[in-house]
Amino acid sequence: MTLVLIVALVTGAILFGIGVYGALSQTNLVMIMMGVELILAGALVNLVAFWRFLHPESYSGQMFVLVVMTVMAVEMAVGFGVAIARFRAKGSVEMEEAGDLKG
Amino acid sequence: MYAQAFFVAVFGLAAIGFGVVVFRTSSMVRSALALLFSQTAVGCMFLAMQTEFLGVLQIMMMATEMSIMAIFMVMFMMDPGGMGGMDMTHQKRFSIGAGVVAAGVAIVVAFWADWGPVTAEAPDAAMQTRALGMELLGRSMLIFETAGITILTAMIAATAVAIPVQTTANIADKEDTE
Repeated sequence: MTLVLIVALVTGAILFGIGVYGALSQTNLVMIMMGVELILAGALVNLVAFWRFLHPESYSGQMFVLVVMTVMAVEMAVGFGVAIARFRAKGSVEMEEAGDLKG
Repeated sequence: MYAQAFFVAVFGLAAIGFGVVVFRTSSMVRSALALLFSQTAVGCMFLAMQTEFLGVLQIMMMATEMSIMAIFMVMFMMDPGGMGGMDMTHQKRFSIGAGVVAAGVAIVVAFWADWGPVTAEAPDAAMQTRALGMELLGRSMLIFETAGITILTAMIAATAVAIPVQTTANIADKEDTE
């Protein structure tokens, strides 16, 4: 059983790493959001594995998964709202052209 | 047990493979589809780990989310088809390093940590759904309600941000074009 837990945790870790790479390397806002989605997917895999193999009697683990899914939906909604506003104002969602957002 | 490990590993490899494709392909529609397949593979991993409700929820939610994302990508990308061969990345070496370090640290923790006794049996699907419902409407109700209000707030905020601002200059421009 520990084998399945380790397989799931390693998968979550690699998804997290790919997401970190994407979020840091991409210049487009929508692609950066894709990286964040992969980071959250890695977290989801870990949460489900922890619930299933360590504490299946406590449903707080599944509740936590629902909270992370909510964060994913909120990130998408707000991200696309910002993307539309930015595209209207500057005609692009390239982050290299967004130096004017610095405080 | 080995069958479960096999299916979790197969879907995990699929999730990782499609996750890599997201940032390797130059076509943005392909990127969105690869992310959809990656998230679907994650949902299938949940099913393989006997978490049926969350698995189905993940697949349904991501199918909708990624379809919307594909439309936005075609709208906003300078080169959505990837025909121009544009490089849309920066600080590549640093990003690869950060990704490898992040994944490496998590893998080391996964192997070195003492996870304690592992449970072999999970509750059946109907029992899980019932218990999750009781959790949502019982002890975790405040968190559940907060999540709902947060999504509603995000929807209103996103719509408010996306609506164009009506300035006097905008109105004058519009009247001129008419």
